[in-house]
Amino acid sequence: MNPVRTHAAVTLSLILSAIVAQAQREGLTGTDIVERSQQAFYYAGADMKTRVVMDLVSESNKIRTRRLTMLHKNDPKSRNQKYFIYFHDPGDVRRTALLVWKYYERDDDRWIFIPAINAVRRIAANDSRSSFVGSDFSYEDVSGRDVSADTHTLLREDRVGDVDCYLVQSVPKTGIDYTKKLAWIDKKSFLPRKEEYYDAQNQLARVFTADRIQVFTGGVGEAKKEYPAVVKRTMTNVKSGHRTEVTFNSIEYDVGLEDAVFTERSLETPPQKWIQ
Amino acid sequence: MAGLAGPRRTWGIDTALTRLAACSLDHPWWTIGLTIGATLAFAAQLPKTTIDTDPKHMLPVTAPVRQHNDRVERDFALHADTIVLGIVNERGIVNRQSLTRIRRLTGEIRKIPGVIVRDVISLSTIDNVAVRAGQLLVGPVFDDVPESDADTARVRTSLLGNPLFLNRIVSPDATTTAIYVPIEPTANGKEIADKIRTLLPSDSGDDRFYLAGDPVARDTFGTEMFRQMAVFSPITGVVLCAVLWFVFRSTLLITANMAVAMTGIIWSMGLLVGLGYPVHIMSSMSPVFLMAIATDSVHIFNEFAFRFREVPDKRRAVLQTMKAVAGPVFYSDVCTAAGFAALATATIVPVKIFGLVIAFGTLVILLMSFTLVPAILMLLREDHIATITRRTGGDGLGHGRWLSRLGWFCIRRARAIAAIGLASLVVAGVGLSRIHVNNNMVHWFKSGSEVRTADRVLNANLGGTSTAYLTVQGAAEDAIKDPNMLRGIEGVQRELEKNPRVGKTFSVVDYVKRINRVLHADEAAFDRIPDSPEQVGQYLFLFAASAKPSDLDNVVDYPFQNANIFVQLKSWDADVMEDVIHRTDAYLGSHPLPGAAAIQPAGIAYFNLVWSHEVLWGMLESFLAGIALVLLLLVAQTRSLVWGILACLPLLFTIGFIYGVVGLVGKDFDMPVAVLSTLSLGLAIDFAIHFVARFRQRYRQDPRLDEALVWTVARPGRGIFLNAMLFASGFAVMTLADLTPYVTVGVLMAAIMLLSALMSVVYLPGLIHLFHPVLFKKGSR
Repeated sequence: MNPVRTHAAVTLSLILSAIVAQAQREGLTGTDIVERSQQAFYYAGADMKTRVVMDLVSESNKIRTRRLTMLHKNDPKSRNQKYFIYFHDPGDVRRTALLVWKYYERDDDRWIFIPAINAVRRIAANDSRSSFVGSDFSYEDVSGRDVSADTHTLLREDRVGDVDCYLVQSVPKTGIDYTKKLAWIDKKSFLPRKEEYYDAQNQLARVFTADRIQVFTGGVGEAKKEYPAVVKRTMTNVKSGHRTEVTFNSIEYDVGLEDAVFTERSLETPPQKWIQ
Repeated sequence: MAGLAGPRRTWGIDTALTRLAACSLDHPWWTIGLTIGATLAFAAQLPKTTIDTDPKHMLPVTAPVRQHNDRVERDFALHADTIVLGIVNERGIVNRQSLTRIRRLTGEIRKIPGVIVRDVISLSTIDNVAVRAGQLLVGPVFDDVPESDADTARVRTSLLGNPLFLNRIVSPDATTTAIYVPIEPTANGKEIADKIRTLLPSDSGDDRFYLAGDPVARDTFGTEMFRQMAVFSPITGVVLCAVLWFVFRSTLLITANMAVAMTGIIWSMGLLVGLGYPVHIMSSMSPVFLMAIATDSVHIFNEFAFRFREVPDKRRAVLQTMKAVAGPVFYSDVCTAAGFAALATATIVPVKIFGLVIAFGTLVILLMSFTLVPAILMLLREDHIATITRRTGGDGLGHGRWLSRLGWFCIRRARAIAAIGLASLVVAGVGLSRIHVNNNMVHWFKSGSEVRTADRVLNANLGGTSTAYLTVQGAAEDAIKDPNMLRGIEGVQRELEKNPRVGKTFSVVDYVKRINRVLHADEAAFDRIPDSPEQVGQYLFLFAASAKPSDLDNVVDYPFQNANIFVQLKSWDADVMEDVIHRTDAYLGSHPLPGAAAIQPAGIAYFNLVWSHEVLWGMLESFLAGIALVLLLLVAQTRSLVWGILACLPLLFTIGFIYGVVGLVGKDFDMPVAVLSTLSLGLAIDFAIHFVARFRQRYRQDPRLDEALVWTVARPGRGIFLNAMLFASGFAVMTLADLTPYVTVGVLMAAIMLLSALMSVVYLPGLIHLFHPVLFKKGSR
């Protein structure tokens, strides 16, 4: 081997191990980083209310827009969550509402209210990888994935734009739609800046980007807290050319959502107070 | 004028060619060396050869049908190419072992490069819409392969209970299922099919596997055609050599003939590849055609054999031979080239290219006839020539005597022979009126082949391996959500299903009905289209929110303005698609859709229909253009309209007769047959050209009509029969091919050549004898 190259290689590996060592000194393994990222991304605050605009963009640039209100509340005693999603648009589906009780380690419970038949139906939810309301996001992409379901490895430090990130590889332990995920996680906020999903042929299939991040304040009483949040995100299916752009408008944290909001009855008579 | 043109005013071209030949005679080694040099330069291009067998490339990218097809595929997220892996188990496909196998295979197939991972559809990935344990289920039919008999029975019931699955993913008797494997447009269907084959278990119990679908057929055909041509081109060469040996007993003459053929092949294929064109099914046949065309040089050998006997000086004999045959050889080759070049008027890209390649190759052969051939003749040993001449039997022995008798017979029985000809024309006319235009790519394989067997089995058990799309074009956004629109679409589907060869149709209507039923506790009464657009909108929203995106995208476009009806056909026959279009139009005539929405066909089945029509009419146009060109050339050569027409008659008769027979025996008039008509044009005309030209030469020297005719039958006639025999034996080899288009080409070409030779030698003397008052009116000789 060329001595100069050997030298470079040794230097490179020294630098790499130094980075990994530093992360380890801070006590951060790949799993830790993913854990903290999930907390920042999915579990900020006690509850949260937002208006969402979701654009489904086809390969030939045709757009279907969905406007919805999303309410969500974290269970203070576990990692379970409840979601209430109310659709304002498109016009013919107004009043359609979705209730999801997310359990961290088992299948969700899901119900949907269909105004045309004026009835609530329970939906079988055995696949959390399935598409979230027809978008390129899966239910898990919206509400988080069991950290122990994957093997996480901190590959190295990297930058996305001018943001310092950890680059973590997550390999699912059982066969699902992707075989590998690379996530660039912001070292400060722990929000994902970019994610790449690879398919069965180990080819890049989907790309997530956090396009805009804003910091919101929440907290109850004196204890003001700051919550950085991804307010615009895009998931692109690079294989089909389809993408979904999601914008969160008027995010509010810690608004005091009652448990009654997340019930079947509330699907039929939606809580006007929260969905206006 | 006369002073400028000099004494050679009538046969200028002959003189030029004879001079060229004389030049080659004087420098034989230079001629041979230069030819080899140029040939090596063309041969250097050949390693760059690429192949293209996609039927879609038969039409140019700008063809409206291709653009429409591309747009439909884009709007509905459809894939152009899908391989179908059929799995048949006579004891029922829904059993633990088969389901495990299907699940494993689906996973493995998704890993094959070129396969579109996200849209592989099988029993383990297809989305079901059902009620299970009081819950609405939109998702796979089973998550885990059922363990117990009860679970297996449940899977079976839910499969057969969803009308969307029937005949698509499972047969109504549950013995057959299929894995649909869409592939990237750039992927090779045969290579992926071969990889799938390696995944199939060697011990599969009762499960049997069948690979079908357009990309498999197409790319297998592509690979096969080169294999076949690689085998048959040399065999054709060997057969031609054998026949030549039998006639002339001279290695050098055989070498000369083959050298001409090889030069023509290498120059034209080298040019084709060098210009960056791929080799299509048509141009893969070029070597055989060029070898056959190169046999034109037997006219030179034949005449030389007679001449050398009369003029035993080699150089002078060659020169006189070249002078005698220059006109006919030139005009017959130019007519051949013109006939093939007429194919350039076709819209079918590979046909166009093929025509030009052969036209070029023919001109190369023409050049070689006056350079390489005389150069090689110059190298013949004089003592050897005697052997060649002896076999001509020119002075009333052997063929010569037999042919003289034939000549006299034709003249004496001219009226009777003409009457028989007319009668056969009438019969042929009946046949022509019965011609059935059709095209079926799967039938390009022989009946027992793997491709055809798979296609047959899947068509017998499932909805069909050929797919058409009918796109409904609504007037405005959300037009498809109108319940009346859905009812109209459903009406079209039911109408189409009346054709037994339409095995399955499905559309957004089927999803809407299914969801309506499932939301109403699976009650059969709700298996219908709901009454309000809002309801439809919410159902589709619910479906889109749960199923794979492609499920909905395939049947309705983004703004819900257009819908797509899938029509699965059990046959690749173009006329099934024609029936689909007629039924749709007739139905829409009596049941217009809301907003007078139009329905447009697309998909591979439609494409095949358009393409085969394009071939037919394109060929007819090329044929007429070719006839006009050839007639023009003949009039130019003979300087007389009547003689020009007369020389065309054997050809027209032959083609009319052969196609009459095609109609009578009920063979489909498909692409290979259609193309042949134009191909044979330039080839079959040669014989009449030689006959007429040589007769007129002779008659000018010795104006005894009947004697001149008999001389022509006996001497150039021998060349004509030899040429036809060589042609026919060269093409006859192709009848042994495994692919039916080659067989068709082989049989029909051999028949056309033999018949047109016979027509030229038997009918022309009779006709000239009968019509000589018209033909020799005033100074027309």
